[in-house]
Amino acid sequence: MDKVKLNKYFERSLWVFHLNTGSCNGCDIEIVASLTPRYDLERFGIKLVGSPKHADVLLVTGPVTGRMADRVKRVYEQTPDPKAVIVVGTCGTSGGVFYNSYNLKGSVDKVIPVDVYVPGCPARPEAIINGVLQAWIKLEKLRESMKAAPAK
Amino acid sequence: MLGLLETGSGFWSSIIWIVAVLIIGSIVIYIRNKGEDSYKKNTEQDKPFISGNPEPSKEGSHISASHIYWGFKEALKGYYNPLGKMHTGNINDYSGWIVIVTVIILIMVGVGG
Repeated sequence: MDKVKLNKYFERSLWVFHLNTGSCNGCDIEIVASLTPRYDLERFGIKLVGSPKHADVLLVTGPVTGRMADRVKRVYEQTPDPKAVIVVGTCGTSGGVFYNSYNLKGSVDKVIPVDVYVPGCPARPEAIINGVLQAWIKLEKLRESMKAAPAK
Repeated sequence: MLGLLETGSGFWSSIIWIVAVLIIGSIVIYIRNKGEDSYKKNTEQDKPFISGNPEPSKEGSHISASHIYWGFKEALKGYYNPLGKMHTGNINDYSGWIVIVTVIILIMVGVGG
């Protein structure tokens, strides 16, 4: 990615809401690792927030359990537009080892639309950072299209 | 009425008060207008975030004054529960308590001197 393009995408901070829909916490630990001094995502303005109403991006980990499905939908609907959804980990991407389990609704994309998949068990921080960057690019494109045609 | 009222512990001026309200109100309105205004009304974006749980009805989510003391009452429930049972709402019971307590006090005074 050239410098000009990168500057364009770094116009404003990216706020992320992390949602665990049934994860074993392996991916969640890697998300925290990406915020620690070794990777330090916050220096780019990327930070976790406590409410989806403040977020630009939903970062979802884990397969969607039966009891979480309704809540995942609600959290997605409460996130302001434009928004992007990143699924971190194999379980959220495909169900992983829990595929077809009786108590699962399945992968995250069976419940809400997903923009970026970051596979891995757990996904490495480098992969998560790359996934966030891809979501950021998509989000900026969405913002530009919304500016061109503002919602009524 | 609009003059300066001086007291032993300070002063009161309605003009200063009105000016302060106008300035603080303007700051509040400015900060509020800086907020997100593109949310979709009458959708989930308009409702409070309760960890993804559905918003209970207004009646169901009513918080009464007694909720503030929940921890206090929970910690002292050994004391409050029997006390609550004593409050039957029956005037005969309350009269009975007055008689019993009066007798106890009279005995204490009589025996103790």
